Amino acid sequence: MSTAENALSIDSWSPGQAWEPVHTPSRFRNALSKHRVWRSESRCIKCGRCTEVCPQRVFTKAGSYLRRPKSYLCIGAAACQDKPYYCVAQCPAAALRVSLHPSYNALGDRRWTADLLLATWWQAEFGGLPAHDLEYRTGGSGGGFDRLRFIFPTRPPDFKLTHADISLELEMNRRRDGRPHITMGVPWYGGGMSFGSVSINTILSRVRAAQRFNSLMSTGEGGYPEHLIPYDNHVVTQVATGLFGVREETIQRVRMVEFKYAQGAKPGLGGHLLGDKVTPAVARMRESVTGMALFSPFPFHSVYSVEDHKKHLDWIKEINPRALVSVKVSTPTDVDMVAVGSYYAGAHVVQLDGSYGGTGAAPDIAKKNIAMPVEYAIPKVHQFLRAEGIREQVTLIASGGIRTAFDVAKAIALGADGVQLGTSELVALECLRCHNCESGRGCARGIATTDPELADLMTVEWGANRVSNLYHSWSWQLKEILRRLGLRSIRELVGRTDTLVHLDYFDRPVDDDIRRGA
Amino acid sequence: MENTNNLTHSGLQLLNTRRHFTSAYHREQVIKGEDEGGCGVTGFACSVPVAGRHIFQPSVQMHNRGNGKGGGIAAVGLDPETLGVTQEILDEDYLIQIAFLDEAARPQVEAQFITPVFRIDHAQRIPTLANWREEIPNLEVQPPEVWRYFVRVKPEVLQHFIQQHKLYGLPWRKVEDEFVAQNSYRLNQAYYASLGEKKAFVLSQGRNIIILKIVGYAEEAALYYNLLDFKAHVWIAHQRYPTRGRVWHPGGAHPFSALNVALVHNGDFANYFSVSEYLSQRHFFPQFLTDTEVAVLTFDLWNRLYGYPLEYVIESMAPTTERDFDLLPPEKQKIYRQLQSANIHGSPDGPWFFIIARNDPERKRYELIGITDTSMLRPQVFALHEGEVQLGLICSEKQAIDATLASLAAEDPRFCPVADLYWNARGGSHTDGGAFIFSLEARNGHRVLHCRDKFGNSKTVPWYQRPWDGTVLEVNLELDSESARLVKEGLADGRGEHLYSCIRERVPQWSYATFREVLELAVAEAAKNDEAKAAAINALTLLLDRRYDPGDKKRSHLIRLIMDVLTRIFRDTPALGQDAPGRYRRIDWDTRDALAAPHRPDAILILDAHGFPPEGEECDARFLCQAFGLGWKRFITYGYRGQRFLGCGLGPLTDEVRIDAYGSTGDYLASGIDGMEIQVHGNAQDQLGQIMKRGKLVVHGDVGQTFMYGAKGGEVYVLGNAAGRPFINAVGRPRAVINGTALDFLAESFMAGDPLNGGGFIIVNGLEYDARGRLKPQAAPYPGSNLFSLASGGAIYIRDPYNQIVDEQLNGGELAPLAEEDWNLILPYLQENERLFGISVEKDLLTVEGQARPPARVYRKVQAVKLAVLTQLEDSWE
Repeated sequence: MSTAENALSIDSWSPGQAWEPVHTPSRFRNALSKHRVWRSESRCIKCGRCTEVCPQRVFTKAGSYLRRPKSYLCIGAAACQDKPYYCVAQCPAAALRVSLHPSYNALGDRRWTADLLLATWWQAEFGGLPAHDLEYRTGGSGGGFDRLRFIFPTRPPDFKLTHADISLELEMNRRRDGRPHITMGVPWYGGGMSFGSVSINTILSRVRAAQRFNSLMSTGEGGYPEHLIPYDNHVVTQVATGLFGVREETIQRVRMVEFKYAQGAKPGLGGHLLGDKVTPAVARMRESVTGMALFSPFPFHSVYSVEDHKKHLDWIKEINPRALVSVKVSTPTDVDMVAVGSYYAGAHVVQLDGSYGGTGAAPDIAKKNIAMPVEYAIPKVHQFLRAEGIREQVTLIASGGIRTAFDVAKAIALGADGVQLGTSELVALECLRCHNCESGRGCARGIATTDPELADLMTVEWGANRVSNLYHSWSWQLKEILRRLGLRSIRELVGRTDTLVHLDYFDRPVDDDIRRGA
Repeated sequence: MENTNNLTHSGLQLLNTRRHFTSAYHREQVIKGEDEGGCGVTGFACSVPVAGRHIFQPSVQMHNRGNGKGGGIAAVGLDPETLGVTQEILDEDYLIQIAFLDEAARPQVEAQFITPVFRIDHAQRIPTLANWREEIPNLEVQPPEVWRYFVRVKPEVLQHFIQQHKLYGLPWRKVEDEFVAQNSYRLNQAYYASLGEKKAFVLSQGRNIIILKIVGYAEEAALYYNLLDFKAHVWIAHQRYPTRGRVWHPGGAHPFSALNVALVHNGDFANYFSVSEYLSQRHFFPQFLTDTEVAVLTFDLWNRLYGYPLEYVIESMAPTTERDFDLLPPEKQKIYRQLQSANIHGSPDGPWFFIIARNDPERKRYELIGITDTSMLRPQVFALHEGEVQLGLICSEKQAIDATLASLAAEDPRFCPVADLYWNARGGSHTDGGAFIFSLEARNGHRVLHCRDKFGNSKTVPWYQRPWDGTVLEVNLELDSESARLVKEGLADGRGEHLYSCIRERVPQWSYATFREVLELAVAEAAKNDEAKAAAINALTLLLDRRYDPGDKKRSHLIRLIMDVLTRIFRDTPALGQDAPGRYRRIDWDTRDALAAPHRPDAILILDAHGFPPEGEECDARFLCQAFGLGWKRFITYGYRGQRFLGCGLGPLTDEVRIDAYGSTGDYLASGIDGMEIQVHGNAQDQLGQIMKRGKLVVHGDVGQTFMYGAKGGEVYVLGNAAGRPFINAVGRPRAVINGTALDFLAESFMAGDPLNGGGFIIVNGLEYDARGRLKPQAAPYPGSNLFSLASGGAIYIRDPYNQIVDEQLNGGELAPLAEEDWNLILPYLQENERLFGISVEKDLLTVEGQARPPARVYRKVQAVKLAVLTQLEDSWE
């Protein structure tokens, strides 16, 4: 299916409806998995016993034909072997074997562990949490959000509270300056990834999910593909230092404009798109030269001070009198001053982009060494804004390495109002974290590429469902976290650092797995 | 070295007396107290004393560069009578102003730091506005009580100081200066830096200089401390933009003082800590923790103690680098090299622009100095007004200069609302050094203004061009005079071009009176019907825009007279909604509610922008969008005082729109326009034409910084120069003619495709006009380096008949000869340029020293080099 058809294809969901998960399995025949279920074809007597016993539906039949076992659904021998439905024990021909999948050890990295990737894929497929022991809350970085845990009261403070009572809504305009309100249905929205850095199918998948959850998605710095026009109300257009594809028309189209001063993954560097990815389509969108690498300057050449910054914001506000203005900054040590300055310059949203994010296109040296970890930056800014008496007028968004619903909740408990996502949505689209994003034909999954052949590895329908399923699972988790804390709204969680512990300073066992317990 | 007598340099001996000074704060605490941004800075120096209220209007107009959380003013060259002292005391005594944040601390402060060491010749509390809460309702924090002391150090105290530090044989005055400075440092340490709850600090110190600052806007300081009628030769003001909102005392506001110096700053250092370290190794310690304070301390160190002449101070602050350094004479290179190695750590890095007012009692000079950083990252404009009274101005925006001049001219006919010269400094350059100094020197009991650059080269205007004396003669409109016939016939063509060429021919011989008479007749003619009005406006606009020989008159005064009559024609237009004949209608701030659809299809809306706020929901640019929404297409706008964003927000379908703008238009004009035409009749400010998509922008003057940043297309014509960083990151197909040149970084990262195949290009002619309206090539068609650096597409066509552009100025581009298809490509744009500005392709551009040359021997092409590493995969797509 071509890209244009993708954009126009109709999905079953219509505005105003709540999104119900649609089963959206992997695009590839053999999905990656933690456990491997192996069936010896020579021993198998095709009795079909396994298809009857396994509650995870690892085994399926087509008529009398036994399909290949779907290993990724298996919850593993450890969880199953005592159960009466353990397939290995039940197989009369002893043709089955369950073991750890060898690729499991090769998958992922510290930040995005194999478990986290698999759990996210699971959520993107089913719209809920995985049934088995995959760690879906934290990665294995040994720091940051991975060392923070929620402490839930052993008995819920409010027994009558149900998910239906809990609100995840986030208002983006809290300045009361006469500009319109944007109330998002969930406290997150999609971060900037340009056409050029990712394919149009990826962009459309993300924006469609944003539409279904009444959220937003940022275009990044690469122009405003016309495919996005039907979704104008859910698009945030980015004005970044290279001003690629930024036109008056695109600014006037949206409800929110995002100024990107810096990215947490590479502060002090502008965006860059290497020549490989500047395909003719990308060059057309950005009106640049095909095949020539595009480096956005750092910083804005017209902004060298906070008063220039105000003027810059005033300009965008003049062009689009109904738009809100968001300011995306990285997290230097004086990030609190930057946030206050942005507020006084007229920003509605201040976005702190911490150092954990960034795709493979950002240089490692920058990703790992420059910006302040976001879990320090959020409370610093939150408290500073409070002391200044303006916390209630600013919407504070955290971003950079928000991987899970728990990361969302932790960022909010530290003092943010909401978060912006990037990589987690790409993982929902089956990103493997292989770190080849910068090269033109490097993305094995057809996500971070503009190569027409690779980009068509994915349909928009499929992608939109995958991201929506993930959003659905996250919404459930956030509501469950709030329910367990006895909070009726995500707003009540803002700045509640008392609900968190840091494992460096807390030696009692903590279990915040919301699949278990009350 | 304990034995200080071994040191021969008096400054170093004095510096040595500070050896025992300790840092005002723990080392870890020496971090910038807060970030602050650019800010609004303005200053002027005048050969006659002028009242403080003239700094008022420019300060008001730069509100949007501050946020009312800090403002201040300084004055040098004061009036003894107002201060209640004799001229001798004013000249000889130190004038120390102390702000008492806690009024109860005054007796203590005086007993500790004033009375024991000083002979007080005069002391007074600075009078303040009694009912300030009513008069300045926006002022949230009451300004501190300020006391002013005229003092000399008691001889016995100074003698003791000399003996203590073995400073025998040093000039008495130098020692006394240092003593006063140290005394102020100690006072600040005891009552400001060491305390959590600040009590008092020294606002200003030195001879014949004062500083006052408040938590508010600068002009509110003038209002609160009753300075509106206070007269001085040099004034500077600063609107601060601290990032934090809660500020309770003005300790961090500008100007900052050192002995005889007041400094305001627009920008932000990246190396505050390094400069602080540099200073602390030289026994200077910051007490207020802002980068402006360390700037004034370095100035004090280098100038007063090291004894550097101003040129070396400027070099230490803004080092000359790269190609500019190579172009310096060898002896300068030698000295500069040493200055740089000695002082680079004290040299502020990052965007900054300083305005310094100082008294140089030794040479009996008052000085106003503007210095820009090497990369010219902050906006700056200089202006010179010569005549019976001389005036030098430095501001962050041209509109603030215009506001100062307008304020002065409204009161005193000797001032013209238009300056003779406006220019930008090129930071760290071999040409002007990035700094200009206006010095008021005493001559025969008068003050005479001289303007010089860093290297001491004078900036002057022709002596024989005389100002208009302000005489207004009655013009008899009935009389069938020669002038009346000239105007009538001149306007008969309906476009006024005939009138313009007649005037242009005759104006060198005319007196101001004749010129005025012709203008008056044109106004009278314009009132008759639309055709005459259009012709008159056009003729007057040509007189305003074009350059011609003014004879013995000053061009600035002719412009002033033309602007006066143009404004009258605009003002006499019937108001919108009025039932009157004609296609012209007028609207302003007071009548804005009357905005309605145009009364006829060819209607022209004349918008008086004067009363509109410079930005925000009610600004004139938004108002214009509303008018456009109602169907208006043709606009004449005037009365600007820096209002921003003109032409922005109209959206893509604007091909029929045309705006003619007169006056001090503001930043971001035409940014994002997509189809319309805007003509700016005069100089324009910064950030014009950002992300411009399509349409036409004509500027009959200079443009400011980051012109056409990220532009996608459009046709642009600039009569004068562009300041730093024009056309950065432009893509698509912008096509531009700049008849002057650009300061630096022209077309960096230009990505505008293949110019011969629909891409973009810039033509740089490198010309300028002399005082008699003749075109001549500038000293170099492009003086800087980083021409077309890292560009991947497009081209620059530069008029360079003497092959002055060299490879060292490029960074990634290459010089190529002009091919025939190049000439065919640019010729239509040069022809349009000729039509707009009267710069002839044949007679001006292709004629070199009287000889007609083929285009390829006049123009050169700078084109992009394809970098192999960035184009590996290109073939795979084709």
